Amino acid sequence: MHTLVFIKQVPQQNSVKITPDKHIDASGIESIISLFDEYALEEALLQTEKAGGQVTVITIGTEADKEALRKALAMGVDNAILVSDPQFADIGSLAAAKIGAAAARKVGDFDIIFCGKQSTDDETATFGPALARYLDIPVLSYVFKVESVDPNTHTVVLERALESTIETVESTLPAVLTTVKDLNQPRYPSLLKIRKAAKATIPTWGAADLGIEAGSLTPKIEYLDRVPPPPRPVGSIVDGASAQDKAAKLVDKLVDAQVI
Amino acid sequence: MAEIWVYLEEGADDLAPISRELITKAMELAAGLGGSVAGLALGPSAATITAQAFNYGVPKVYLTEAPALEHYTNEAYVAAAAELIKQYRPSVVLAGTSIQMRDWTPSLAAALDAALAADVTHVAVEGGRLVATRPSHGANVINKLGFNAPLVIISLRRQVSPEAKPTGGTGETIRGTMPAIKQRTRVRSVKEKTNAVNLADAQIIVSGGRGLQSPENYQKLVPELAQAFGGAYGASRAIVDAGWVPYERQVGQTGKTVSPKLYVACGISGAIQHLAGMRSSGTIVAINRDPEAPIFKVATYGLVGDVNELLPALTEAVKTKVGQ
Repeated sequence: MHTLVFIKQVPQQNSVKITPDKHIDASGIESIISLFDEYALEEALLQTEKAGGQVTVITIGTEADKEALRKALAMGVDNAILVSDPQFADIGSLAAAKIGAAAARKVGDFDIIFCGKQSTDDETATFGPALARYLDIPVLSYVFKVESVDPNTHTVVLERALESTIETVESTLPAVLTTVKDLNQPRYPSLLKIRKAAKATIPTWGAADLGIEAGSLTPKIEYLDRVPPPPRPVGSIVDGASAQDKAAKLVDKLVDAQVI
Repeated sequence: MAEIWVYLEEGADDLAPISRELITKAMELAAGLGGSVAGLALGPSAATITAQAFNYGVPKVYLTEAPALEHYTNEAYVAAAAELIKQYRPSVVLAGTSIQMRDWTPSLAAALDAALAADVTHVAVEGGRLVATRPSHGANVINKLGFNAPLVIISLRRQVSPEAKPTGGTGETIRGTMPAIKQRTRVRSVKEKTNAVNLADAQIIVSGGRGLQSPENYQKLVPELAQAFGGAYGASRAIVDAGWVPYERQVGQTGKTVSPKLYVACGISGAIQHLAGMRSSGTIVAINRDPEAPIFKVATYGLVGDVNELLPALTEAVKTKVGQ
């Protein structure tokens, strides 16, 4: 079985700055693999260990994002690919999915694709469902339990967690699965694998390698403005002689403000 | 003029509250852009939902019923909607942000080469142009988006508009046909969660964190206070990761984003990841031993002290002063 995983490197803390030309500046903040993608990596490794085969991890980004790919290699992934081109900067998640689809097609012989349900920076939750559509394969999003993956019969059975129900779904393979938190316990990389990953050669695929024509990714969305959230009104400490006194005063304030 | 469509969802015994909000919003946008409002109803309940939508003032509903739509699957629901959209060419499609809608909207946008704004908190017509606002980066960045596409698909959170009021009206039904598709996914079964937690719809949420010191204290104090308020209860990431509370109660960037009328943070220090999930709440009460805790920076009211003493006192005070 050949498993693909798409991951994204994101700032560990979201205390990012906004530049005067409305870009996000995450300089000085440590980079990590987006949390939900860690679960995608772990599930890809678990399922591929069971079925036999290899895992290929792909990220769309810049040279700096090879760090995330090396972390994935250290977790046990077999191959890593960086998809990078100056044209791909700030293109939005639908276009990223289009590029991801081109990369998956270039890999060719995949059985299943995992990615996190959303990234923890842009939080659009768009990549997986759009990727599947561009590849014309099924998407199973918000997966919280993979029951079985059978590359021989090309089927997957899994559970999706919705607001108040749990759906058991079966699908043909290949398919895209997007993962939620706590679907598994992501493993720690071993020292041996960290050393090996540091030396691994990671190929870079650009627009020309993927057959993406210049100008074909014109964004349909335009950032008119980006600002920090409005500050919350200044609050006050409710003081009192005892816990009972403080509690009573607070409840009075909530009643007066018609909150309760 | 082009139409603005609302994807209509089924509620417990009437049109889902989000759909009623989106009807109000679609009417406002239609007035600003010059157009009219229509609904889109798919699946086995489509006829019922259509009648309900007429009652809330929607003048026209596009509807497709077919065996392939018995349960929601991405491929069938995208195909059915795309068929109608290609034929009738609305300029905007509004949907909610339930899990199925977060699944459906990106696939639909990809299928139709449309512009997509996901998880939007506000949308309006500004200078004759549609402008959507969405938070990103754990609510640390507020993005204002404009669009350059003939079709714009927007998924919107709750509380974007007041719910539409019943008008007792009727309207026009336009039936679509289900295109032939390869059905590659099949829903085998749907079961109710045993302890479903619907934090997104709760008006009051009481959340607990590490300051409670033990899972026993959490279980003893937090649900009780939530019950006194008639609200739901949640948790910080720290105690979810520590295994005190299941993940579905987690509020924060990697859990649920909520904006209730009242949010009570008990023994939660206020890490940036937690604030991301609750800072847009109406009133925030913070209860913490440490007066320097970051949670007090976003709090409307703060109580400084031992949460294990303050919570029982607060539960008592709420019961006494507000009743059940």
